Amino acid sequence: MPEAEIDEAPAASSEPQSPEAEARRQADIRDRRLVRRLRAGDQRAFDELVRLYQHRIFGLTLRMLGNRQEAEDVAQEVFITLHRAIGQYRGEGRFYTWLYRIATNTCKNRIKYLRGRNFHRSVPVEETPEAHDPGHDGPSVPLQARIAGPEAMTEGARLQAAIQQELAQLDPEHRLLIILRDIQGLSYQEILNITGLQEGTLKSRLHRARVALKERLAPYLS
Amino acid sequence: MPATQDTSAERMTAYLDAELPADEAAEFEEQLALDPEARSEVEMLRKMMSLVSSLPEVEAPPDFAEKVSRRVRRRQAFTEANWGLVSLPFQVLSIVVILVVAALYMMAQLEQRPTGKMEREAIPGTHEAGKMPSSGPAPVEP
Repeated sequence: MPEAEIDEAPAASSEPQSPEAEARRQADIRDRRLVRRLRAGDQRAFDELVRLYQHRIFGLTLRMLGNRQEAEDVAQEVFITLHRAIGQYRGEGRFYTWLYRIATNTCKNRIKYLRGRNFHRSVPVEETPEAHDPGHDGPSVPLQARIAGPEAMTEGARLQAAIQQELAQLDPEHRLLIILRDIQGLSYQEILNITGLQEGTLKSRLHRARVALKERLAPYLS
Repeated sequence: MPATQDTSAERMTAYLDAELPADEAAEFEEQLALDPEARSEVEMLRKMMSLVSSLPEVEAPPDFAEKVSRRVRRRQAFTEANWGLVSLPFQVLSIVVILVVAALYMMAQLEQRPTGKMEREAIPGTHEAGKMPSSGPAPVEP
């Protein structure tokens, strides 16, 4: 597809849009410009794309793999694939759903590889030193805010660890849907674009994933 | 999962995600009011979703972008600088293959040449094809 087509911004409708929709439109325009520059060989455009999407992609790989080192390595691989395969991006759909597709495929491949090697050395996400360092893991922990008292930090961290541990026990396809929808808050349409599922299949599979996780988290739900 | 259960699961998911149209959502709520088991299931799922969605947002390590950039530069440098080295064995192999083919062809030509020469030399001595040339003087008829 010629670059000109990728450069086309989604048409702005004459109807007033919600602030979220307008923000998404602006983000799409920005992404398309960066992609065009990257295809022209502009390294700074690539750095900018990494800066924009590093947290979301790392969040996805970390929740999928449950191990910081593996997650970082896979997330780096995702961006290297982006750099190498940007010529294959045909400008259909939003750029970041394409990036997410690369990330989900890379995660699935790594999970298969690690299973083949009987990988059991995973360091639970919340037990790593980085997980307790606000400089690494961002702002305060909402789960901790749910538990009152001086033991909030410990209890909150324990609850997070339990959720991550139970999440890791789910089938990777189910885990992916929970992460995309319930943790990262993507819309159905975005998930359909990323996974290539039919809408009915997505809903029923998401339901099964939620039921499975609910049963695993039952002791924490009462 | 049977089709009816599938449909019910899809509706429940859409309801929990506030993706059902208003009329269908109202209808679903009416059904829930009559079915305590389903109501309890929806409540538990809602709690679970709330718990999961309150996991903290994860941030990439501070040097992540730098590491990616470094790996990309290393990959580019490797591709550019080592392309010649990587392709050298293939170039040498191609030349060797060409030389071997040429040598085999020439050998085949050399092997064919003497036979051809003999055949050409034999032709003038014979009057009829397939007839062996006679040796010695022709017999004298009485």
